[in-house]
Amino acid sequence: MRGKVAVIGVGMIRFGELFEQSLENMIQEAYLSCLNNIDKGLDPKEIKAAWFGQWSGGFIGQGAQSGQSLATYVGLLGIPVTRLENACPTGGDTFRHACLGVASGAYDIVLALGAEKMRDKPSAESLGGAGGGGGSETGNHPAWMMGQGGPAIQAMHATRQMYELGYTMEDFARVAVKNHHNGTFCPYAHYRFEVTIEQVLNSYTVCWPLHLLDCCPQTDGAAAAIVCRADLAKNFTDKPVYVLGSNIGTDHSQLWDRKSFVEQLSTVRAAKGAFEMAGIQPKDVDFAELHDCFTNTELMNIEDVGFARKGEAARMLKDGEFDMHGRLPVNPSGGLKAHGHPIAATGLGQVYEVVTQLREEADKRQVKLKNGIGVQHNVGGPAFGVSAFTILSRSP
Amino acid sequence: MTQPAPASPVFWRFNAEVFRLIGIRCRKCGHISYPRTKICHECGSLDLQEYQLSRTGTIHTFCINWAPPPNFEPPIIPVAVDLDGGGRYLGIMTEASTPEEVKVGAKVEMVLRKMITDRGLNVYGYKFRLVEDQQ
Repeated sequence: MRGKVAVIGVGMIRFGELFEQSLENMIQEAYLSCLNNIDKGLDPKEIKAAWFGQWSGGFIGQGAQSGQSLATYVGLLGIPVTRLENACPTGGDTFRHACLGVASGAYDIVLALGAEKMRDKPSAESLGGAGGGGGSETGNHPAWMMGQGGPAIQAMHATRQMYELGYTMEDFARVAVKNHHNGTFCPYAHYRFEVTIEQVLNSYTVCWPLHLLDCCPQTDGAAAAIVCRADLAKNFTDKPVYVLGSNIGTDHSQLWDRKSFVEQLSTVRAAKGAFEMAGIQPKDVDFAELHDCFTNTELMNIEDVGFARKGEAARMLKDGEFDMHGRLPVNPSGGLKAHGHPIAATGLGQVYEVVTQLREEADKRQVKLKNGIGVQHNVGGPAFGVSAFTILSRSP
Repeated sequence: MTQPAPASPVFWRFNAEVFRLIGIRCRKCGHISYPRTKICHECGSLDLQEYQLSRTGTIHTFCINWAPPPNFEPPIIPVAVDLDGGGRYLGIMTEASTPEEVKVGAKVEMVLRKMITDRGLNVYGYKFRLVEDQQ
């Protein structure tokens, strides 16, 4: 894939509780923001195919969504559009499929858009209604942890991180403190307020050892990217961002089949494959958007993608290495924790952030660039067995 | 909600696994799992044999869930248990008067209990309780 695909535009709406906006409203706003982001302009008729990321529709009773939904809403009737659902990495995987569409030679310019309407339903019927992270056929059986969902699954990881790696609830809370701080600088973030370690530890216990402020919110949102053949990119923008690698990693769909609760092999495999595609090492990355659906998950991700050895992420976080102006900023957007987690929009929102940072257009949250390389990561689904990892760069 | 109704085929289909604890063991890689399958989830081998899961084991990890699924009274204590002889089982603790009693490494055993009452029907299955002799 390296050298074949470039991002020419990204778009996003402010994430949050958007009761006044329908799925169609959000999709149109993200799409138009994406078109406007292309500095030399693009005739929408040049978009020859699209991929539509959408998780919630059929799962939580909001009506089935398919390719024609996106084609209709953005006025591109007639082009091929595929609706894609791949759990929490839906957005990352939607972007990957758009890139594959271009890299294959089938299309020159394509659209990837993800949108999610989660707040119309109460939390328990929203993510939990689809079984959360435990929703495979067997995961729903009452004898085997029926519908435990993401919080319980990640809390079981957190307990083991505490036992095996010596991590503490304060270590987890520091992730929330960092990401909420970053979120205050991001105009698109769902939450834009600071939290302290004490506030996190004193918030309601959802699943011990995780508190309410250890969990990301459920969010409405939409985000998009337009990608094209790398050799055509400068016809549309002076600041193309190149795709060096984009990969999906899988692991078991049943939690009991997995070996470890302190490592997610889906993430390990996604990142390893993407780094191999790109021909670079984790040390070459300037900053990262990693899937912090829960605070403990961010620490696990930092280790699993290769930024720290297992058991060292908590100390490095405490030393400020992952702060916005630290050695390797993690989640300068505020992450899922503060920016929000509208599932299919999440990965594309991360692509938006990485592209914006690489173009040095991130204002107060701009990170320092050395190699001009940033990454996007998601992990989720039953047993957190699927992960997306994308590497973007200022140079081809 | 998407959880299966007590009269749904899922309960009939997984009867042997849930009540007699029949799983599979891969002759090639040794992976032990359930429900029974024809292709090893770990290595893809077709060379599998039925395996009797043990009713006792050691807590690998757990959490204390104050926001459980419908039909459960909070808190519930989900556990992942490393079964004696191999295999890992996910279940729920019972008879733990305080969550503080539950610890990684504690020895537990399965006991038959009512799991939920749903639409007027009781669903039974195994829960875990701490064994008195923790040696």
